Amino acid sequence: MHPAFSVIFFTVASGAGFGLFSLLFIADVFKLGGGFEREQLIIGGLMAMALVVFGLLSSTFHLANPKNAWRAFSRFRTSWLSREGVFAVLFMPLALVYLASIWFDAPLWLRETSGFLTAVLAWITVFSTGMIYACLKTIRQWNTPLVPANYLALGYASGSLLLLLGAVVSGLDTTPYIAMSALILSIAAVLKAIYYFWISSPGLGPTINTATGLTRAKVKLLDTGHTHGTFLTQEFGFQIARQKAGLLKIVVFVLGFALPGLMLVWVFNQQGGQVAAIVAVITGIVGAAVERWLFFAEARHVVNLYHGAQRC
Amino acid sequence: MNAKIKLENHDAQEIKYTTCYMCACRCGIKVTLEDNKVRFIQGNRNHPTNRGVLCAKGSAGIMKQYSTAKLTQPLMRKPGTERGDGIYEPISWEQALDVLTDRLEEIRSTDPSKLGFFTGRDQMQALTGLWAQQFGTPNWSAHGGFCSVNMAAAGLYSIGFSFWEFGAPDWDYAKYFIMWGVAEDHSSNPIKIGLEQLKRRGGKFVTVNPVRTGYSAIADEWLPIKPGMDGLLAMSMVHVLLKHEQFDYEFLVRYTNASWLVVQTPGQVGDGLFLRDENNQPLIWDIEKEAFKNGMDGEIAPALFGEYVAPDGRRVKTVMSMMAERYLDERYAPENVALECGLPAESITRIALEMAHIAFKETIELPIEWTDVWGRKHDKVVGRPVAMYAMRGIAAHSNGFHACRAIHMIQMLLGALDAPGNFRARAPYPKPIPPHQLPENNIDIINAPNTPLSRPPLGFPTRPEDLVIDEFGNPLRIDKAYSWEVPIASHGLMHMVITNATNHDPYALDTLILFMANMAWNSTMNTANVQDMLRQKDEENFGEYKIPFLVVIDAFHSEMTNFADLILPDTTYLERHDCISLLDRPISEPDSAADAIRYPLIKLDRDVRPWQEVMVELASRLKFPAFTKPDGTRKYKDYPDFIVNYERSPGIGFLSGWRGVDGTKSLKGEPNPKQWEKYIENQSFHAHHWPDNQKYMRFANQDYLEVAADAGFVGKVEPIIMQFYSEPLQKFRLAGQGLYDGPQPNNQVDRERLVKYFDPLPMWYEPLEQQRVDKEKYPFFALTQRPMFMYHSWDSQNVWLRQIMAQNYMYMNARKAAEMGIKDFDWIWVESHNGKIRCQVKTMEGTQEDTIWTWNAIGKQKGAWGLKDNASEATKGFLLNHLISELLPEKSGERRVTNSDPVTGQAAWFDLRVRLWKAEPGEAGSWPQFDTLKALPGDERYERPDVLRYDARSHEKN
Amino acid sequence: MRLGLVIDLDVCVGCHACAIACKEWNASGTTGPLSDYQPYGAEPSGVWFNRIRHYEMDEYPNNKTVNFPMSCNHCEDAECVTVCPTGASYKRAEDGIVLVDQDKCMGCNYCSWACPYGARELDRSSGTMKKCTLCVDRIYDMELPVEERQPSCVLTCPAHARMFGDFDDPDSAVSRTVRERGGFGLMPELNYNPTNQYLPPRSKPVIPIEAHPRGGLKESIKQFANKLVRR
Repeated sequence: MHPAFSVIFFTVASGAGFGLFSLLFIADVFKLGGGFEREQLIIGGLMAMALVVFGLLSSTFHLANPKNAWRAFSRFRTSWLSREGVFAVLFMPLALVYLASIWFDAPLWLRETSGFLTAVLAWITVFSTGMIYACLKTIRQWNTPLVPANYLALGYASGSLLLLLGAVVSGLDTTPYIAMSALILSIAAVLKAIYYFWISSPGLGPTINTATGLTRAKVKLLDTGHTHGTFLTQEFGFQIARQKAGLLKIVVFVLGFALPGLMLVWVFNQQGGQVAAIVAVITGIVGAAVERWLFFAEARHVVNLYHGAQRC
Repeated sequence: MNAKIKLENHDAQEIKYTTCYMCACRCGIKVTLEDNKVRFIQGNRNHPTNRGVLCAKGSAGIMKQYSTAKLTQPLMRKPGTERGDGIYEPISWEQALDVLTDRLEEIRSTDPSKLGFFTGRDQMQALTGLWAQQFGTPNWSAHGGFCSVNMAAAGLYSIGFSFWEFGAPDWDYAKYFIMWGVAEDHSSNPIKIGLEQLKRRGGKFVTVNPVRTGYSAIADEWLPIKPGMDGLLAMSMVHVLLKHEQFDYEFLVRYTNASWLVVQTPGQVGDGLFLRDENNQPLIWDIEKEAFKNGMDGEIAPALFGEYVAPDGRRVKTVMSMMAERYLDERYAPENVALECGLPAESITRIALEMAHIAFKETIELPIEWTDVWGRKHDKVVGRPVAMYAMRGIAAHSNGFHACRAIHMIQMLLGALDAPGNFRARAPYPKPIPPHQLPENNIDIINAPNTPLSRPPLGFPTRPEDLVIDEFGNPLRIDKAYSWEVPIASHGLMHMVITNATNHDPYALDTLILFMANMAWNSTMNTANVQDMLRQKDEENFGEYKIPFLVVIDAFHSEMTNFADLILPDTTYLERHDCISLLDRPISEPDSAADAIRYPLIKLDRDVRPWQEVMVELASRLKFPAFTKPDGTRKYKDYPDFIVNYERSPGIGFLSGWRGVDGTKSLKGEPNPKQWEKYIENQSFHAHHWPDNQKYMRFANQDYLEVAADAGFVGKVEPIIMQFYSEPLQKFRLAGQGLYDGPQPNNQVDRERLVKYFDPLPMWYEPLEQQRVDKEKYPFFALTQRPMFMYHSWDSQNVWLRQIMAQNYMYMNARKAAEMGIKDFDWIWVESHNGKIRCQVKTMEGTQEDTIWTWNAIGKQKGAWGLKDNASEATKGFLLNHLISELLPEKSGERRVTNSDPVTGQAAWFDLRVRLWKAEPGEAGSWPQFDTLKALPGDERYERPDVLRYDARSHEKN
Repeated sequence: MRLGLVIDLDVCVGCHACAIACKEWNASGTTGPLSDYQPYGAEPSGVWFNRIRHYEMDEYPNNKTVNFPMSCNHCEDAECVTVCPTGASYKRAEDGIVLVDQDKCMGCNYCSWACPYGARELDRSSGTMKKCTLCVDRIYDMELPVEERQPSCVLTCPAHARMFGDFDDPDSAVSRTVRERGGFGLMPELNYNPTNQYLPPRSKPVIPIEAHPRGGLKESIKQFANKLVRR
């Protein structure tokens, strides 16, 4: 699949935003490391929302006809894309209620209920984002529960690194935040490893034979019927060399998981503090972006079978 | 909730019927127009050619109409610029016609042969031929010389009709169909309709073709033959049929010359000619009466086999005996031709016997009463349902005439001609063998100023006396047609015109008119050199161009227009009157004689004129007798007036429908002033449906022949006896042997060619070019074909069609490529004895291992056809033409000889041998490249946007 | 009703007539115009609803070329409709035709991702997704002659390799043909239940032969005896 920058930015940014907001709520409820100050919570929450909003805005850039974007909420019952939109939009007022309840010292039940609901919505939204891809039977590499799991794990991993940075900046006890990040990063890394293992073998999916129904002999493409690209080749024709994909996977693990993990150790050992946390955030998010690019680049839509791929 | 579907507003629309011109099939089309724009072009359900269907080109006609390559006004090469620079100035039609009239008047009043008029893919040769004849020049022909004259001549010298337009397979009844060398670009809709019909009924479809695409894709059996070996394959099949005694004895006796007696006096004058009686009638041996009898008569019982002694003491032998001797020879045994053909012997034997089984064990009998030309009544028609069709793969070889004759030999042996399930004739065919029309060859008439020729420039020679040569044996035609070099060149040799005119061989032209022929690009052999020839100047003649004045008529900005001194812009087919006449290349089907018209559907938006109008105008200005009243004033107001009122002979005109003063007569009748209106009322075509008793066996069908004689299709009612053994060929051979009582060639080259290639029975020889090139050095055969969706339509400039294909590749067998380390999309060099090209490769299974091929005419010169300079047709597309020479490789002690079939002059562009190798890294893009064509005056009207959003309807969207 | 197409791979010669007829009708049709990009330039492309691909089965010399037209399959379980967030894509209850409401589409491409058959193409100029409409603006147009109320691809196909009809009706020509010829849907394992069905290339007919060869050359010629056949 063609890796569109807007969609990569959107999913990474909004994932991090939703992750950050959810974890911020947990940090607030359990007063982790001593708990953030009111202003710090507000700033953190607004930053998370900003990430979500920027992400959502960016996602509209890939729409060819954005004037109809508002209609995207109408098919909540069947479309994960619609659901994601609805949940993302519901998230906003709830998140504001939660932040307002912090700001105005609202009763605890309101603060915790709204915070909890916001966190759940954030989780559901990221899950929906994952399901946008996972529900497609046309793309073997996506059509697996590992996809929403990965989206959640990476979103929360990015969020946790941002939160850790907040804790460092705010001068909180970073141990619980390091622990949280370490845990989520580990889960994300394991899930990603499983995912890469999972998609590496083609399994019993469609082949050029089932795609054409010509099942009795070897089938080869002779001509696509168009000399130059079409919408289909532009949208689905992207192909990454196996070697390059392997290299990028190492980059994902080094940038996305290993370096942030190492930085956690540095933060824990009080070496570098802020710098290490900033490095962790940056590498983590760059790693997530590379992961997301690869997520698209490695996905092979079955329509490629009609353009000559033996299997996808 | 569902959106409301908006339907068409038919009140805003108009429906008109006309005839397609996107290729040579000429299907009926139904055109929906809205506000002078084309909304929809669909097939006309009532039309005999396409019966409602329409191919890709036909539908893409819209984009031809809106092409940005359309010429907009007459143009003159700017004084002071060189030919080929492409710098033009607009001139008015009046000026253009004045310039041309003056020039033509001068030529006509001095030496009419100094005018050459050659036409490409036109469909009005009856008019262009008449025009040339009236002008008085022999130098006229259409593009048949590089298209299919081998097929036409082979058919017309053997069976009285031929492949391509003069016959069609009987798809209703055929049970077995062999397609020989028919590229997927041929006879678009009729073949597709037919193949489906055949397969739906369970018939078997065999294709003989080195490439498996298009029609061949759906064949039940593919014979990947080596190019140029088809004749050998056909003769091997004849061997099998004879060896297994599978032939139609009665058919041979009744309808062919198999029983005619041939004189056997080797080395003497008269050897190999038919034994004839005092009335010049061929004789047979009657086994009942035990006497020599007239072989044309009905009341005979001829011996099919045997040797006899004629009353004058000469030994004679039946044609059939001669055939048995020749084709039963082990030379033609399947196992002995298998290697050369590249096919298993088993397949050859089996397919011959499968045909025999279908012909003789699955015979069709239709309860149709008919009368034969000898007056005998038959209560049924018997069909041996094996049909064949052949085209370019046979025609475009220098051995194609004989290869095609060999195929007709199989049809005759099986008795599978013009009966149910066979290859059947289309009116005005069958004709006498060969047709009774000789080319003008009276040198006094040809040289006479201001005098029309007494006969058309083209025809069918039957003996050396019919050649168009002077007393020294030199050609009188610029293309050397009907000379000793190519005696039966019945369609001329358009591919030689530029070369010969440049070399002043046999003489110089003054003016060359080229209509709708891209002779500077894809329709010529040896493209790059031909472009140079067009630029070549004559130092002895004050630096004039070797071809002093070049007039090009075209509707589009082609590579050819770039060399014109005068460009006369034509209209599109939706903007003019046209007629597709029975006097010309007819659209008849086996069951009906048919013709058709076009008329303007769309208002002209630029200063262009139909060439037929311009021809009538020029003919009137030049006062051609046929176009001028006795008082010297013009006879015809315009082209439509000419079409209605011109009569070739009383009652016979260009259009056969609604003749007679009241429009009630068909085929023959007085001119009807309302004829165009009647055609338009009747969907622009006329079909004369043959009654059942006139549908079959027309070569010997009394009722049919009577109608045919009346309509002028044949001279008189007489049997058309098919010719296994061609006496005209033998007469030319005798001339080569020095045994002819008449003109004989004085050049050794010509003598050898006549002796070698004018075999009266079908023969096979290695294609001429291949006899002269080193096959070790050039191991591959190289071919081209047009893709189905572009056949004849030159339409890479068509914005829809070019999306399907905007670049051609060189295709080769996948295993062979792998052996050579060549992969898909590699750039390779391909070299022949004539030059080299660089192109990109694609591999496939469906190509014979020793063959490479590409799509023809995809490659374009930069700036041509309304495309931008970076169009991939120009940067990556290529022509194979550069590799093909119009002359045979030089041989010491011999003049340069045309690379054509030695009998018919058919351009042998499929004889090419090449070698290939991988290009160096970094060598990419097609080569050679040419200068970019400059935009013509008037081009500024075209926008060429980056996004085109064609919408014919004025409907309010949303 | 369940309207759709039958495509006969046994007789399709790959001529692209259906593709161009489709382009031609729909360029000025209900979802037209259909944009063409770089129509005169380096790499021409555009929006098409029907594309013909060409395949080869098996290896030389036993290979067979198969021409393969593809357009929307109007699936029973049309995931393109399921995933559409705006409701622009819909499947008509009355005849099963899958359409895109051009007024609602936001051009997110998601439906094209869900389509395994490459039936949907985005028109960059209108910003909307376009696809085969089964010529819904022809087949219900009562002003057209009844025999012309067919998709333009079916109307034009020179090899009659395309049929149009109602698959819900077991006696319809399309249903019968699919039964008799062993028609199949593409990529059945994805369970989209495509309505369009493809008919496989048939196996070649077997023709009996009678082989009675004569002997060598001289013998053969001598053996040929004249029969008394009168003209």
